Amino acid sequence: MVDRPRITWPGNARVALWIAPNVEHYEYLPPRDPQRNPWPRSPHPDVQGYAHRDYGNRVGFWRMLEALDQHQVRCTASTNLAVFEHYPDIGKAMADRGWEIMSHGIYNTRYLSALTEDEERAFYSDCIETLQRHTGQRLRGMLGPAVSNTVRTPDLMAEAGLTYHADWLHDDQPIPINVKQGQLISVPYSIELNDVPVFLQHHDTADFVAMVKAQFDTLYAEGAESGRVMALALHPYLMGMPHRIAGLEEILDYLLGHKLVWQATACEIADHFIENHYEDFVQHAQRIKGVADAS
Amino acid sequence: MPAERSYGMDHPHYHYSPIPERPSLRWPDGKALALGALILLEHYEWQPPEAAYSLRNPSGGLIKLPSPDYLQLTHREYGHRVGVFRLLDLLERYAIPATVAIDSLTALNYPWLVDYLLERRCELIGHGIAASRLITSKINATTESEVIEESLDAVEQASGVRPVGWLSPEGVESDRTPALVAAAGLKYLCDWPNDEQPYQMTVPSGNLVSLPLFLEADDEFALWHRRTSLQSWEQTIVSAATQLHRDGENSGRHLMLTLRPWLSGQPFRISTLERALSEVTKLPNLWLAQGSEIVDAFLECDC
Repeated sequence: MVDRPRITWPGNARVALWIAPNVEHYEYLPPRDPQRNPWPRSPHPDVQGYAHRDYGNRVGFWRMLEALDQHQVRCTASTNLAVFEHYPDIGKAMADRGWEIMSHGIYNTRYLSALTEDEERAFYSDCIETLQRHTGQRLRGMLGPAVSNTVRTPDLMAEAGLTYHADWLHDDQPIPINVKQGQLISVPYSIELNDVPVFLQHHDTADFVAMVKAQFDTLYAEGAESGRVMALALHPYLMGMPHRIAGLEEILDYLLGHKLVWQATACEIADHFIENHYEDFVQHAQRIKGVADAS
Repeated sequence: MPAERSYGMDHPHYHYSPIPERPSLRWPDGKALALGALILLEHYEWQPPEAAYSLRNPSGGLIKLPSPDYLQLTHREYGHRVGVFRLLDLLERYAIPATVAIDSLTALNYPWLVDYLLERRCELIGHGIAASRLITSKINATTESEVIEESLDAVEQASGVRPVGWLSPEGVESDRTPALVAAAGLKYLCDWPNDEQPYQMTVPSGNLVSLPLFLEADDEFALWHRRTSLQSWEQTIVSAATQLHRDGENSGRHLMLTLRPWLSGQPFRISTLERALSEVTKLPNLWLAQGSEIVDAFLECDC
């Protein structure tokens, strides 16, 4: 990080901020996965777990939408693409606002981990085709369904023509990912500034607000040297709850109240990086590797 | 069955209904928020039948101990002996009429407690046989229907009133439960925490309304599983009620607090709950109601 080429964002922004509501459907009776049980609380169905998440699509999404609209946020919706089929009202609300739709798989209860190479290839075709059919958008990136992946995922994403992958927590800047063919970068997502892990345990709204502000303050200061990326990961079934919505408003007021913030979608960040900084970052990585090889 | 990629829900129990698309819900006298409290009386058996299914890691006690787990069993029993009276007194102080989910082993084995609940005008709803005998897909439809009947018979026998509401033990269902509780003549079901308003369920026979509980303020969910601080729990209840009360001016909302006597009836927790209720009951346009009253008002609303 300390030796890299400098990233500049549009408008000399210090932080490129992307806001990612995760719009999801968890199945009532999902197919058995050999590695992961989405509902371990009881024999399936787990109506409590199911209904808690279903709340997001019935109520929480709509309350969150009001807050996001008031702040004119351009979201990158991490979307289980079957949402367009099950809940067209939600699909339309997102499309009408011109949100970028990022693939979050088809369902949050269908994981990539156990797929064969051919199945995973078919999965990308399905995602691309589904999004195209419902919105006319070209699919640009993915956060794996329930953050699942295989060792082949980056290669197959690049082969399918996707631009960015959001499952890499390893940096505060976009980073080129080595792939067999084509081009792929990571756009930093967050599993810390993310309402699911925060609210899974004992933290609540005030803690989340404090974390987000502190993260932003640090990146905003460091971003004067070289541009940083900040992701805010949200879930309608959690942040759209009546006791949390004021926290979201406070977060948005704070983040968007700063001048040198570029509130962008993930693919805008990716495109800007690829156009202006990708080559420099690749060369820099080779130079660092050269130092390692020489020593 | 895994979901088919088509419109609406991936099960037959209700239709998809985004809240902005619904007609406005009106509570009696134009109230904005219906507030209720559901007390759970759950019996854990010392020796459940061989085939019974309970949660792998039920709440209460210290760690999961080999049977008999005195700590877990007696921790829960505290609710029946002590905690429930503390909770009922508190609710009465704030004029919140209690709804009580009572399983059949509690109803039959605690006659003094049942009489006490009736004197306090509690509404009793069915809650299965015991928390150590869950209704899951591992039992067949006939057995499940028998469990539902047996539970309702026991409450009726003990109290003289047949329940019209239902909460499955530990909120665990099979994929047939809504259909079977409707067929048993029940009017409402509390197992689906997915909304801020009651809604119609779709069942093959009978007429069933879902009355969602507010899971995030549920004492077990918040205090036991998530280990939130008492201060945070209080804040959750107060800010949820305040926001729902605000939203309810346009279309009525309800908030059902789920309280376990063994948990929120503990001496060190009761003052927190008292502070929360004292704040919440200051909201001007509040309707304090039992489960069946909320459901009846929903059914009577021309919406």
